Amino acid sequence: MTPRTLDPVQRRALRRQKMRRASVYALAILIALWILLPIWLIASQAFSNQEDIYGFPKTVVPTPVSTETMDFFLNYQGILQATRNSVVVAVLTLVLSTLLAMPAGYAISRYIFPGRAAFRLSILAVRAFPIVILAVPLAVTFIQWGMFDQVYSVALMHTALTLPTTVLVVSSVFASIPVELEEAARVFGASPFQAFIRVVMPLVLPGVAAAAIFTFVMSWNEVFAATLLTIRNRTLPALILYTLNKSPLEFQYAGGFFMLVPSLVFIFFIRRYLFNMWGQITK
Amino acid sequence: MKKRRNLAPYLLILPSFLYLAVFFAWPMLRSLQLAFQRDEKILVLRASPNDENADETGRLEMNTTVTISEREKYDEVLPNGRTRPYYWFNVSGADVNGNTVTGWTERKNLDVKSAASSEEARVRNGDPVKEWTLANIKRMVNDGRFSEALTTTLLLMVIILPIQFVLAIIMALVLQSQLKFNSIFLYIYAIPLGISDLAAGLVWEAMFKQNGFLNSFLVKIGVIDKPYIFLSADNKKWMITAIVLAEIWRATSIVMVIVVSGLQAIPRDYMEAGEIFGANLWQRLRHIILPLLKPSLQVALILRTILAFQVFAVVVAISGGRVLTVLAYETYRWYDPSDTGFNNPNVASAYAGLIMLLSLIISIVYLRAVRAQEEAAQE
Repeated sequence: MTPRTLDPVQRRALRRQKMRRASVYALAILIALWILLPIWLIASQAFSNQEDIYGFPKTVVPTPVSTETMDFFLNYQGILQATRNSVVVAVLTLVLSTLLAMPAGYAISRYIFPGRAAFRLSILAVRAFPIVILAVPLAVTFIQWGMFDQVYSVALMHTALTLPTTVLVVSSVFASIPVELEEAARVFGASPFQAFIRVVMPLVLPGVAAAAIFTFVMSWNEVFAATLLTIRNRTLPALILYTLNKSPLEFQYAGGFFMLVPSLVFIFFIRRYLFNMWGQITK
Repeated sequence: MKKRRNLAPYLLILPSFLYLAVFFAWPMLRSLQLAFQRDEKILVLRASPNDENADETGRLEMNTTVTISEREKYDEVLPNGRTRPYYWFNVSGADVNGNTVTGWTERKNLDVKSAASSEEARVRNGDPVKEWTLANIKRMVNDGRFSEALTTTLLLMVIILPIQFVLAIIMALVLQSQLKFNSIFLYIYAIPLGISDLAAGLVWEAMFKQNGFLNSFLVKIGVIDKPYIFLSADNKKWMITAIVLAEIWRATSIVMVIVVSGLQAIPRDYMEAGEIFGANLWQRLRHIILPLLKPSLQVALILRTILAFQVFAVVVAISGGRVLTVLAYETYRWYDPSDTGFNNPNVASAYAGLIMLLSLIISIVYLRAVRAQEEAAQE
């Protein structure tokens, strides 16, 4: 079956298939450009000088490349503090969300118990709920409890936002580890806790880490609740949103770029787990 | 799996359950309470002095001016043995219906210059009175920006969702067609998953700005000779276009990921059978892929619709929140305690309640529609 022995009909079919293949590639590249081009353009603005920012027409590659705009943004009053607040909120959310979700995810994937279906369903319902809207009553409550305008209260809100997703993802990670491994460890004399720590933990760690990173990104990006729950201790998106109308162009371009950098990095690390994460949720 | 009666799973889910009870269920009830309650202070006048449980003789609103006709001085014994004087006043003033009411109240409820001699005072404190009311809802609906916020939110949803789903299915099919560099394409297509709505709004604002990239491009290829002002108050169509593009750019990936995991669950035999029987791509899509994808699409649709009701930062970044408004922005504007906001959590909660209600209705309608279709298919 070498190409030389193909008759014209087969050759035409082969050509058609190659054409189709090429058009799929073209489509794939086109979609990739649709996503990448805006990122490139905002990055090119973030790394240009003031003249370029206010100049017209704009070029696709900044000339000269300059850190002037980025410097301006990072030295803008309150940005460093807000960035620190954002990182603290995101880390607190990550830790709290993972600590709460691990046992719940384990229970859903390893036990059959009355109420399991109801619990799973309510987690799904909470997941689909417009949770950030709850920032209004929470702000009112936090003011009464003296917890308003605190970094940790934003983290408490964000944990409510991320917990359902984390529980579902973690349970799907546990479900992918055969229970026989755990039972084997038990047969060889390990306590349930030892079996979990020594055998299950190392296997689920990458998946759980991916879930935790996703939690971090969700919290880092959240604007609405963070804006409502803080006044002086703003997180980065809250501060940028709040100063939007009063801030110069440099601030907006560099700020936009600065906020999307973590997603470029983190999505790279968790890309292999994305479908496992969401596969579970569609069931 | 372990099946005997066991407390372990309950103990394991308990922390999450309690957390969601405190930070989800409670604020949800609280927001309904805020939306449907008048939360003001009312001064309740009593029939006799120094007795908080005496019969009620009337009620006064905050800031009512009252005249003092009698006063009684009492001494409170403090824990350290000393005494501190306090006063009760017999006051009269006009209540909410204009009737004059008279009764006793404590000094702490009044703004009174001199406790011993002033004859006039102003009501400044009272008991919190919680009445069920529709006043907040009425105020929301009668606000000039309400109908615009509702229609803009729905309009954005109706334009964005269909485009998003078509694009997401195309992206998913491209990823499923085993290209070289597939993992690179997967990474690029997934990047927007981690991009915030605010960042997306800022990116697309940079595109549509007067000295932005779109104008630069159009001038360079000679379509126009001077920059066009896309984002201005009397050019709402372009503003909507910019918001739509930003939302499609940012939020299609989540649908794509759900569709891909749905596609992966379709057994290969089904696809191969389609190919063997000579079905072209459209026929396979129409008769094999889409019907089997239905559960995934349904989940994605509910998720995206509910997120669409919360659209916020993209709109603020592109329109400044003034030219175009959406439900979530109105929620923020009514809550906002700063000078530009109304500092009214009650009306803000009414908006929050509306968003919850719309989300709930949409989910139920989708689920019903799907179930009805399934039942029809079984008959």
